Amino acid sequence: MKKSLQENHRENQNVPVSYHCVCRHLLELLRRTAIHGESNSVLIVGPRGAGKTMLLQCVLRDLQKEEKVQKNLLQVHLSGLLQTDDRTALKEITRQLHLENVVGDKVFGSFAENLAFLLEALKKGNRSSSCPVLFVLDEFDLFAHHKNQTLLYNLFDVSQSAQAPIAVVGVTCRLDVLELLEKRVKSRFSHRQIHLLSSLNFTQYLERVWTQLSLPDSFPDKKFAQEWNAGVKTLCEDKSVEEVLQRHFNSSKDFRSLHMLLMLCLSRVSVAKPTIKPADLLEASRMCFADATANMLHGLSILELCLVIAIKHLNDVYEGEPFNLQMVHNEFKKFLHRKSNSMYNFEQPVVMKAFEHLQQLELIRPVDGSSAKVQREYQLMRLTLDHSQIMDALQKYPQCPTDVKQWAMSAFG
Amino acid sequence: GLAILRTNLKWPNLIFTLFHFETLTFFVLCLSLPENGQQMKAVVQWFMRVSELPVNKLKLLGREPHPQEIFYYECRNCDNEVNVESILRPVKVKHLDSNDPFPDSSDKDTLYVKLSWDSKVFGVVNSTVMESPAEGPSRRVLPTPDHAIMQKASLGEVGCSSVGTPANVEAESLHSATKLSASKCLSAKRRNATARTPGVRKRLELSSECSHKDFKMQPLCRTREQQGFLYISNTKNHHFLTVSLLFLQISPGTPKTPRHATPSIPIRSLQTQQPANILEEARARLHVSSVPESLPCREQEFQDIYSFVESKIIDNTGGCMYISGVPGTGKTATVHEVIRCLQHAADMDEIPSFHFIEINGMKMTDPHQAYVQILQKLTGQKATPDHAAVLLEKRFSNLAPRKETIVMLVDELDLLWTRKQNVMYNLFDWPTRRHARLVVLTIANTMDLPERIMINRVASRLGLTRMSFQPYSFKQLQEIIMSRLNKLKAFEEDALQLVSRKVAALSGDARRCLDICRRATEICEHSAADPSSTGLVGMSHVMEALNEMFSSAYITAIRCASTQEQLFLRAAIAEFRRLGLEEATFQQVFVQHQALCRIEGLRPIGVSEGLAVCQRLGACRLLLLEPSHLGVLQHIRLNVSQDDIFYALKAD
Repeated sequence: MKKSLQENHRENQNVPVSYHCVCRHLLELLRRTAIHGESNSVLIVGPRGAGKTMLLQCVLRDLQKEEKVQKNLLQVHLSGLLQTDDRTALKEITRQLHLENVVGDKVFGSFAENLAFLLEALKKGNRSSSCPVLFVLDEFDLFAHHKNQTLLYNLFDVSQSAQAPIAVVGVTCRLDVLELLEKRVKSRFSHRQIHLLSSLNFTQYLERVWTQLSLPDSFPDKKFAQEWNAGVKTLCEDKSVEEVLQRHFNSSKDFRSLHMLLMLCLSRVSVAKPTIKPADLLEASRMCFADATANMLHGLSILELCLVIAIKHLNDVYEGEPFNLQMVHNEFKKFLHRKSNSMYNFEQPVVMKAFEHLQQLELIRPVDGSSAKVQREYQLMRLTLDHSQIMDALQKYPQCPTDVKQWAMSAFG
Repeated sequence: GLAILRTNLKWPNLIFTLFHFETLTFFVLCLSLPENGQQMKAVVQWFMRVSELPVNKLKLLGREPHPQEIFYYECRNCDNEVNVESILRPVKVKHLDSNDPFPDSSDKDTLYVKLSWDSKVFGVVNSTVMESPAEGPSRRVLPTPDHAIMQKASLGEVGCSSVGTPANVEAESLHSATKLSASKCLSAKRRNATARTPGVRKRLELSSECSHKDFKMQPLCRTREQQGFLYISNTKNHHFLTVSLLFLQISPGTPKTPRHATPSIPIRSLQTQQPANILEEARARLHVSSVPESLPCREQEFQDIYSFVESKIIDNTGGCMYISGVPGTGKTATVHEVIRCLQHAADMDEIPSFHFIEINGMKMTDPHQAYVQILQKLTGQKATPDHAAVLLEKRFSNLAPRKETIVMLVDELDLLWTRKQNVMYNLFDWPTRRHARLVVLTIANTMDLPERIMINRVASRLGLTRMSFQPYSFKQLQEIIMSRLNKLKAFEEDALQLVSRKVAALSGDARRCLDICRRATEICEHSAADPSSTGLVGMSHVMEALNEMFSSAYITAIRCASTQEQLFLRAAIAEFRRLGLEEATFQQVFVQHQALCRIEGLRPIGVSEGLAVCQRLGACRLLLLEPSHLGVLQHIRLNVSQDDIFYALKAD
């Protein structure tokens, strides 16, 4: 059953209704490259998780179904995260195109030779006889950081001249991507941009949750499927569930985070407990929203926690100015003198060790530019925690002495 | 072995491309040929010639190899499918027992197999080895056969047949040294055979016992004209199979450096479709790549460059010219047209002939590669950059009179800049040599490039022959589109004017103009179902295309952002106002964000979640962020104006 639902996640990769228009645009564009041999370039821009890659894959899947296109389109897939410079990108292109300087998996020749070879190959081709090539550049913005933007210039130049027909599809999440392109590269780009911005409202979001969770009709055990789907329906109508989902929706419209949440719920389903309860969703949501750094505070020793509280007070007093170990230790000592019953003073080296541990956990971080020559006790530091995080953690800290808690709550040390 | 093969070729029609991987030649036993007209692969077995065996391994043979002897190549990692186009010609092959003597034969096209070779040792070939490989991928097909070859093939004996009942799934075909038919003949037969008994698996056996005399050639050839195929009818119980031996050059099993790889993109398998209606036709003509017959609006520039180059060619001298202009103003296109006209004039013997070469700063990996490319285009030699520089230096300073002037176009000159500027220096110094006869035309975007980046001795050699291409005015852009459309009525007059005015106001880039027009035709096509449309591209279509290309997506992006993301932007503005700065740390903005959450009646979010919201805004560059490892201390700036944010959020 879980498997079926997981598949549901994958299956449901159909383009949402709002994207149908752009989907058709892209499909037409690529089909023209394949059938008419028309060169094109296009950028797909949208925030992370908006479905850019999904859109492209849907289009490519549809395209492959067409008899005319199937054998008439070579594909080259590059990613800015993998091909970090033009040298590797060129090798990858040559490899994926199986040009004649490729033997097995190896590409022969130097960078300069590879470039000349690829350009020569593309130049020899023409609209009517050579096989169209589709270049997909994932994380397009990273390609713009390559030296001189050689690869982009050449790809766009080929797409704007009477050479082998190519289609360049860039995928990026940066809205300002065109500003990254050099003037001459920009001029060669056709300026087609497909913006994927989902104007989805909460009702649609709920519907999506519902379709994601419900079992398909093809599920073998019909009776179970019915019960399950009814269960999902009641779940979706629950007030607390709706509230949680609303909170997620407010935070992000991204479907990936939604899938994450639903997966967490789903993993709590077992044979003994074959339904999702609202409590499961609440728990999953709590896990999703859990504050990572605050969790880290739970693992600190009481001395380290005291130092963090001392730092917090220092921050209050000096309005966020950096501090050093000596100041923190003094603050801690003040607390011991005045209020503490349960705590006693530690040796300087012990405190120093605790302080260094905080630094290792990156709860505090040295101020930029403070040189390493300064003695460690006097090195300036900043706290990378928010006060609310400290207070939160303190509430949940196991067996926290009351006087420490009070000290943390009090306005002034 | 390549040279010999070429001279031996009798059927030039069968040769398409030769692989230039290695000097090794393999022989291929063609076991089955494709069937369905689309794929162009043949399934083969590999053989090696004596000359291809390592010399030091030949002693393992223990005897003198026969000159006509070949060895069955047992290599598992060889690809047993090859491109049909690489088939050179058929030859005869005979399988001999390892003890049998070689027959005396002067026929150079007959070859003998006794042993196998697995790249280490020789082995005995048993006849089952020659069986066809498993069916699977072998059902493939050839392209339309060449008629001439078919004729030839049918003239020679097409030997061998086999006996098998149609019900028999395995039709065995025994035969021996077969007179070979053209491989394509086989495909036709195969097609015919399988059409009758689908799924038949053919087995081939090579054995010297059976001679081809046992089988009678079927003279029942007839041509199906409408397809151009030659069909050999097969009578009820007969299937015809031919074993062809083919020459082929491929890479051997172990990778070797391909020294003579030809750069080429595979040929497409289906014809390109021709434009079907006016809009498609217009789109094809408006594509930047379609070269117009003449370039409008650059008559003056054309004339200047033409007369400059022409005079240098006629006077047998050299010179430099610097051409500048923003992208998309027709610099390279004009120079190309000049060269085309000059070439034409040279063909008509009006001016002395000249040699044109072109390099592009963007199409090389390093400025010094310019030498390599120039040398290669001049002489075809390959050399390292340093060596190429020396050779070119020699060539241009040599006193020996050269036959023709060289005209060199250097595109994207600014990229040839190096710290010592020696590449540029040389480029401009060579034309000044007495016997160089070199004309250098350089192109770059900025007008003041010589003053800005060149040191004096380089700038002085470049000289003062400068030309700058102004951005196109709206009238010129309109003329360009009109001339491209060439009286094709696809656009409304107003629509064209709108495009050209808009582009002229923005950049004067002709590429942009053409792209917009192309996009507009697409939009028009989509809205063709609308009954009010005239079928012409109108104002509305052009407006839509313009909006798509030039409108910024920031405002829509803000509108489509989630509630918390919108709140975060507002919090950032509020914090900037409070600080009176354009920058704040995440911590400061977060405090504002919490407050805003409370005002809006939302549950305040945690720091981790807040950071995630901030990162998402940073990823699409609505915010500019410091590296994320700084956590709450990272500084935040806006990448959009505050007014835009207010505008976007207010409209809700």
